Amino acid sequence: MRITCPFCGERELGEFTYLGDAKPQRPAADAGEDAVYDYVYLRDNIAGVMSEHWYHGGGCRAWLKVTRNTLTHEISAVEAAAGAGAAKVGA
Amino acid sequence: MSSSAIPYSTIRMEGASVAEFSWDIRSPLDRALVAGPYGAQGKAGVSLTEIHNFDLAQVMARRGKAGEMIAAAKARFSAAAPETPRAVSAADATLIWSGPDQFLVLSKGGKHSIEALAAGFAGSASLSDQSHARALISVSGDKARAMLAKLSSIDLHPSVFAVGAAAATSMDHTSVTLWRGKDRDGQAVFNLLVFATFAESLWHTILDSAAEYGVTIGHSDELA
Ligand SMILES: [Zn+2]
Repeated sequence: MRITCPFCGERELGEFTYLGDAKPQRPAADAGEDAVYDYVYLRDNIAGVMSEHWYHGGGCRAWLKVTRNTLTHEISAVEAAAGAGAAKVGA
Repeated sequence: MSSSAIPYSTIRMEGASVAEFSWDIRSPLDRALVAGPYGAQGKAGVSLTEIHNFDLAQVMARRGKAGEMIAAAKARFSAAAPETPRAVSAADATLIWSGPDQFLVLSKGGKHSIEALAAGFAGSASLSDQSHARALISVSGDKARAMLAKLSSIDLHPSVFAVGAAAATSMDHTSVTLWRGKDRDGQAVFNLLVFATFAESLWHTILDSAAEYGVTIGHSDELA
């Protein structure tokens, strides 16, 4: 498997580290215990297209958001994760 | 009790005790690098040169300040800092891309040391001195590409990796900054910056990979 880093270009899998599901969003401070529990512990086990965080630690050290099919390993999109480089988070 | 057994915390900063510590500056390859020929006999296919005594500063834009950092670099070096993987030659420094909104400044003689750069980048970038944190190895020779191909998945073909091309990548599971310098004697020159504590390990791997081509090993104080 290869991932095309938006900063570096196409690179072998060995340069990357997998974090996991990129979907969970930190709940608001007053969201309650169940929402926090869900955010911290509960993950879907997706068979199909999934949005994931990967770290290009063996390269430019940027966090990436990768859209990957977990059945075929087909990667349909790669973008910089929020806050990569000097970008403002959410910008 | 010998003086060397005194716990560090008890050593006073005045008087004779401080002088008993000797902080020698030496290369992380000091032990491993043996100048001269190595591997197959005859004309060496690979030339390895360790570059000594360089200044290396990491420049990293602060949140939302990438544009200001680029402007500060332009003012300092009269050159456009790299915003994609490449190495830019300024008059007396090389600016090497190291990741999004960051680059390395490689120079000599203190002109662009971290102290010298601080004022110009104040407010736009964070600086970190890497002069003694990396080893710098220059690779050239007829078989340089063949040797590097054993260690790297980067395509080094001249049509893809021209003079000034750079990559933040890994060799033998070790992070390196790789870039192609100016040709020397009509031959391509590949420069490698590697973390000091990984340098000896990578050096041995490079020697193993290069041995079959014949190697000539040396030092230099000149930046390639
Ligand atoms: Zn990258």
